[in-house]
Amino acid sequence: MHSPLQRVNPTRRLARVTVLVLSVGLIATACSSDSSQESANLTVYSGRGEDLIQPVLDLFEERTGIAVDVRYGSSSEMALLIDTEGERSPADVFISQSPGAVGFLEQQDRLELLTDSIIGRVSDDFSGADNRWVGITGRVRVLVYNTDAVDPADLPGSFLELTETAYAGRVGVAPGNGSFQDFVTAVRSDLGDAATLTWLRGMAANGSPNYPKNSAIVDAVARGEVDMGLVNHYYLVEALEEDPSLPAANHVFPEGDLGSLLIVSAAAILDSSDNKDAATDLLEFLLSDDAQALSANAEKEYPLVGGIAQPEGLLPLDDLAAAVIDLNVLAGGLSGTQELIDQSDLSQ
Amino acid sequence: MRRRPPKALVAVSGAVGLLFIAPFAYVVTQNLRLGADFGEILTDGDTWATLRRSFSLAIFVSVSAAVIGTGLAWTVVRTDVPFKKLLAVIAPLPLVFPSFVGATALISGFATGGLLEQIVEPAGISLPELRGFRAAWFVLTLFTYPYVYLPVAARLRHLPRSFEESGRILGRSPAEVFGTIVWPQIRTATSAGALLVFLYTISDFGAVELLRYDTFTRKIYANQLADRGTAMAFSLMLGIIALAVVAAERSLIRRDPPAPVATKGRSMPIALRAWRWPTFAAIVAFFAIAIVGPVASLAHWTIRGVNATRSTGSLALSSHGLFDAITNTVLISSVAAIVTVAVVLPIAYLSSRHTGRFSDVAHGLVVAGFALPGLVTALAIVFWVLRTDALIGLYQTLPLLILAYVVHFGAQASGAARLAVNTIPRPLEDAARMLGAPRTRRFFTIELPIMIPGLIAAGGLVLLSTMKELPATLLLSPTGFDTLATEIWASMDAVSYAQAGLESMALLAVSAVLTWTLVIRVADRLD
Repeated sequence: MHSPLQRVNPTRRLARVTVLVLSVGLIATACSSDSSQESANLTVYSGRGEDLIQPVLDLFEERTGIAVDVRYGSSSEMALLIDTEGERSPADVFISQSPGAVGFLEQQDRLELLTDSIIGRVSDDFSGADNRWVGITGRVRVLVYNTDAVDPADLPGSFLELTETAYAGRVGVAPGNGSFQDFVTAVRSDLGDAATLTWLRGMAANGSPNYPKNSAIVDAVARGEVDMGLVNHYYLVEALEEDPSLPAANHVFPEGDLGSLLIVSAAAILDSSDNKDAATDLLEFLLSDDAQALSANAEKEYPLVGGIAQPEGLLPLDDLAAAVIDLNVLAGGLSGTQELIDQSDLSQ
Repeated sequence: MRRRPPKALVAVSGAVGLLFIAPFAYVVTQNLRLGADFGEILTDGDTWATLRRSFSLAIFVSVSAAVIGTGLAWTVVRTDVPFKKLLAVIAPLPLVFPSFVGATALISGFATGGLLEQIVEPAGISLPELRGFRAAWFVLTLFTYPYVYLPVAARLRHLPRSFEESGRILGRSPAEVFGTIVWPQIRTATSAGALLVFLYTISDFGAVELLRYDTFTRKIYANQLADRGTAMAFSLMLGIIALAVVAAERSLIRRDPPAPVATKGRSMPIALRAWRWPTFAAIVAFFAIAIVGPVASLAHWTIRGVNATRSTGSLALSSHGLFDAITNTVLISSVAAIVTVAVVLPIAYLSSRHTGRFSDVAHGLVVAGFALPGLVTALAIVFWVLRTDALIGLYQTLPLLILAYVVHFGAQASGAARLAVNTIPRPLEDAARMLGAPRTRRFFTIELPIMIPGLIAAGGLVLLSTMKELPATLLLSPTGFDTLATEIWASMDAVSYAQAGLESMALLAVSAVLTWTLVIRVADRLD
């Protein structure tokens, strides 16, 4: 029988393409499956970017001979993944960009108690109150400003001044961002919920434009879309590397002001890990002098272990507000913070 | 005459349907476990305000994407507009921009102080701020019209031109011909595409977040760690809304028009005469906004980064891993496209040929699943696979990743595949049956060849969507398996815009090549 539409040839051609694509795919699939089945390696889920943490992990591999497999994603996605995986999670270690995501897993009882060889390396302020996670590096909240639009003499001495009319519509915020939320949680623990809500409402009433994340604020400030913004210190440092002519600078709030809170990145070992010794080795290594110096310089962040030189141009760690904040509140109080931010209408 | 569906088809469709139930079943079990306070959520005025915002955005975007996608498809397929082939390659491309890149690029191109303003500023023009409803409407329309364009173009390619030609010979104006002859034949394709746009818009997070328009998905993301119960409750509501919208679309556009028997041979394209170049200019202007705009921003990022490199001495660009990422992207997206079409075809067949409750439910599940954010679908797969002993070996391997794409993008293939099944003329099928051709032979020699243009459109949508997929790829890919989308995400995360620009341009180039070789050339050979 002839095909009524005489269209058999193209079908055959398409069939050939299909078979070719599928067979290449299957071969590749088979190869990849082989390599991913080895479980002797240490598996790390990292919310910190590859550019920040991979050099340190490479050095660990080189020193110890323990191979490390890393999965990168946002800190909250990785925390959700570990939570969903449950007992059967392949992850041994979780590295988080901020205390929030690691605190979420602590609430789910998923974190292993850390040994003193890890916890003892940093001051009590930089680890979880139950010793189930430890800070690795720190970054500072700052007010980034456009140097063409703002006279440094007009910069505020405290974040509390940002609700004044002089700053109306001029300060970008990122209410949905983890670091901003950590900052608000710190304010809650210092001033209480009522005062925090008053400040958030003041920021909303002042018409402070909101942005999705720190980098968007830094972009907007550099473009001149908004004069100032509350962000972490290193976004501008990185943006200036790509374009040194950007008319923007970081303002660190004076000593003791929560506006320049220090927020740590954190690491933890999972209770479901079948490789806890190697995981402990990795956390010890992350807090070793060499790794601290390496990450501080590569990331333009503060080392948390005493005696390590911090990157040039950063205000000394001792002068910052970090010491007065109970990081445990910071990690656990996320949902209360979210509620206050929602109530304040700052995200509208 | 209605025939009972073959048992094998029902069994296969049931198994496929089970796959697509997985995300919904996960959302329901999590709601039972976490027990969010639905009373409080449903009485909160903010919930309804957010719902209204999501809905109005989704409706506006669907309508504008339907108009643009249909108009563009008709012009490119049917008229003598210049450089048709080139336009056909470019038209589907905006679909490939991950929305976090596309929106960021458009913002830095068109926003206050951005690239465009730097150009027009000397002329005293200043641009409106790109945020809120209108910005989200604008940006999402630009990135979603291909959902309509591809199926409509496929449908138009298949339709005989003789009716249109008769209409024109009888003195009808092109507008009358379009309204009375073309539109009734393509409206199901337009509506299936618009439905995808609707579902994509209510599930999108990247663009609405960057453009600061507060929608339902933002509620899911904002609460994902802080309040799992609320996040899951909102996911459930999103799923229910999607099922309702899919059912509504199905009852509105119940009957597909009977398929006319295709005619062979080329006929004359519709002459636009004096409008030929103005039409071309209008399309070029549109592409300038939808593609050249974002690409200019991407190129600007890269060039700026390279220039900075010269002064600081540290290289801002790295081609390390780019080749692997390209190979991986091409591999998974083409495999995902073929597998997805093959998987949804039985349900498309069943729901088009043997309408009934079972096929309606199966089709509804496949399509509505697209409204769940990709992260939720990916977590659902993690959840079920790690709780099924037989499947654990598959965890974080490529076959499972492909399966995740199938579940998330099945909707895109499903609508177009159903249209493809509809193009099979019944008399032809009946003739073959009466001549005693067995079922498999009928399928391969008659039905499949006729369905191919539609199936290619279905695969093309999945291909482009897989290339930019992020959450499932991050969660489920084998360790160390990078795609262009994950590399772009990592670069954006590290604020290496120069690198992100380079990788995004690579993504665009790769998808143009794939669209050309796998979608357009194959479809052309069939003409």
